[in-house]
Amino acid sequence: MKKASKKIILLGHFGVGKSSLIRQFVENTFTSDYKVTIGVHILKKEVEISADETISLIIWDLEGYDDIKKTRASYLLGTHGFIYVFDVTRPATFENLENDITYLTNQYANTPLKVVGNKADLVTKTYLKENKNMFAVTPDFFTSAKTGDKVDDMFIALAKELVN
Amino acid sequence: MILETYRGTYFHPRTQFITIDKSGNVLESDDVLFSLKEGEDINSVSPFFEGLSTYFDVDEDNDIKFTCVHLEAIDQKEYTCDIEFKTFAANQPTLIMIHDFSDHYKYYQEVAQSRNESVINSQILELKNKYLKEKEDFKNTFIANFSHELRNPLTGVTAFCSVLEKTDMSLEQQDYVEVIKSSADHLKNMIGDILEISKIEVGKLALNEELFNFHELIEMLEFTYSVKAKQKNLEFEVNFDEKIPRYIEGDKTRIKQIFENLIENALKFTQSGKVTFAIHANQSRARKVNVNIRVTDTGIGIPTEKLDSVFNSFTQLNKSSKFAGTGLGLSIVKGLVELMEGKISVESEEGAGSTFKINMNLKYPINQEQTSLDKKSEMEKKNFLSKEKYSVLLAEDSELAQMAVLKILAQEGNFFLDIITNGEDVIESVIHNEYDLILMDIRMPGTHGDELTKMIRSLPVHNCKTIPILALTANLYDADKKRYKKMGMTDIIEKPFDESTLLKKIYKHLK
Repeated sequence: MKKASKKIILLGHFGVGKSSLIRQFVENTFTSDYKVTIGVHILKKEVEISADETISLIIWDLEGYDDIKKTRASYLLGTHGFIYVFDVTRPATFENLENDITYLTNQYANTPLKVVGNKADLVTKTYLKENKNMFAVTPDFFTSAKTGDKVDDMFIALAKELVN
Repeated sequence: MILETYRGTYFHPRTQFITIDKSGNVLESDDVLFSLKEGEDINSVSPFFEGLSTYFDVDEDNDIKFTCVHLEAIDQKEYTCDIEFKTFAANQPTLIMIHDFSDHYKYYQEVAQSRNESVINSQILELKNKYLKEKEDFKNTFIANFSHELRNPLTGVTAFCSVLEKTDMSLEQQDYVEVIKSSADHLKNMIGDILEISKIEVGKLALNEELFNFHELIEMLEFTYSVKAKQKNLEFEVNFDEKIPRYIEGDKTRIKQIFENLIENALKFTQSGKVTFAIHANQSRARKVNVNIRVTDTGIGIPTEKLDSVFNSFTQLNKSSKFAGTGLGLSIVKGLVELMEGKISVESEEGAGSTFKINMNLKYPINQEQTSLDKKSEMEKKNFLSKEKYSVLLAEDSELAQMAVLKILAQEGNFFLDIITNGEDVIESVIHNEYDLILMDIRMPGTHGDELTKMIRSLPVHNCKTIPILALTANLYDADKKRYKKMGMTDIIEKPFDESTLLKKIYKHLK
């Protein structure tokens, strides 16, 4: 039987760690060298979402923009889910969080979306708790592509939502 | 003909044409980039196509273009391509065109890499600066508040020492009071130093220029430190260049502080020999005389490797308890010299002694003969008072400060004193009584003293517009001082104050 495949897209500013999150999820590796993604890289990973159900996640790693509206429309065709990533240490990457999320939820009303604050290893949990008002939208996950913290959880949570 | 040969040699087609059926299986491929067998699943080229499977069996004319897609061939060679996806009506198979633009995109990637890196780096730098500034601000606010809290109890100690001194005491008790007084003075100086360095570091210290007798200042220093040096069996020599104008325009207190710090430092670290204080005039022009100032000692000296750090805050080279201090003296001196646009340097030989050198300009008025200073002492005014008894309001919540003021004024015998401990009651009292002077604490419960002053100034009763209102405060930042003035306060009495400071200020403003 052919497994169901679902296309998900990672969006967000450049340098927030989208490629690193995918690499951590797919290959369990991390490098701190920053390599700019241009255009799109596509990777695939089989995800077991229950004892008898596995799906293929087709993960589109898009070039980061400071404006989400600049994303090439064709890339978004047939998308089943979004992951919006920002960098918890760099305000420029979450200044437009509210606008970007509103834009996505308006344009793709029925497409599941996860909001993710990455690079959480660079700050303490207390810092995130005390400064949660800094982010206009409450993130679904605080991840660290470096340590792998919450990375699998985040992808799998989205995968489960895509099936239900 | 030759053109065709060239084309044959140099032209490599970089576009692959593939047709697929409705399930995504390859019908035909020219294999320019990827080799595909007939019937092979197009998804084997890249998972890219998996996301598009819903478009495989579309029966209408459609053209979807994707730019800059990364594809990997079986030999792991990477291509960066534009992909066109064409579907047709009338049951024609779907056409996929893959254009290889790897070279072009490689260049684009390099440009994007350096652009993004520089944007991110500048954002990080900006954040770091912001963080450092916040840290610095926190430190300075902390220091200001902390020293404020220390000054209040210290006011109690100093003021009551003055009161205590005037009571009948045995010689032994007098000695004890002396010890308390000098310890309190020492503590006061240290707090002052810390506050001062924090002000210098945030650029909040402003110079107060006034005309003063420079020669007199040097004579005073010579007298004071000759006595101190003698106590330590040291020699204190002053070489003063009489060419330097008698009257100087500058911040007398700060200039004195620079000299005192350097001389005291020299005396502290010298066990035998002498300390020399020399001031020489260089050229004068445009009402400014350039001077070289040297303080030379025959003391313990400074190791060469530590010469660079002598002016840093909290650096005390000699950690032994023999030389007490905050380690702030020299950094304050440097801060002040630089504020006066001068330069300071040090030369030293360990075991032989050190020389601190300052080069700076001193401003002076052209007509020295006609310059005179009004030196009427504030205390002398006491003899010209017009009333027998003056009515003074003290608005202050600290009991220690209340008692101190009460004792000091009671000894003088010229005053009626009303004490109010709460901001709200002050206005009430001012309306019902005609005071000659108000002593106003700033940090009071209810309304702060500066706010109260503003209210009093706007009251349409008695002498509210003109009555002297003196602030009692340990908030000595220039911004605070300016605010108090703006709110209508006449003068400021710094906490901790002693008897003579308090009385001097009060007599200065009484009519």
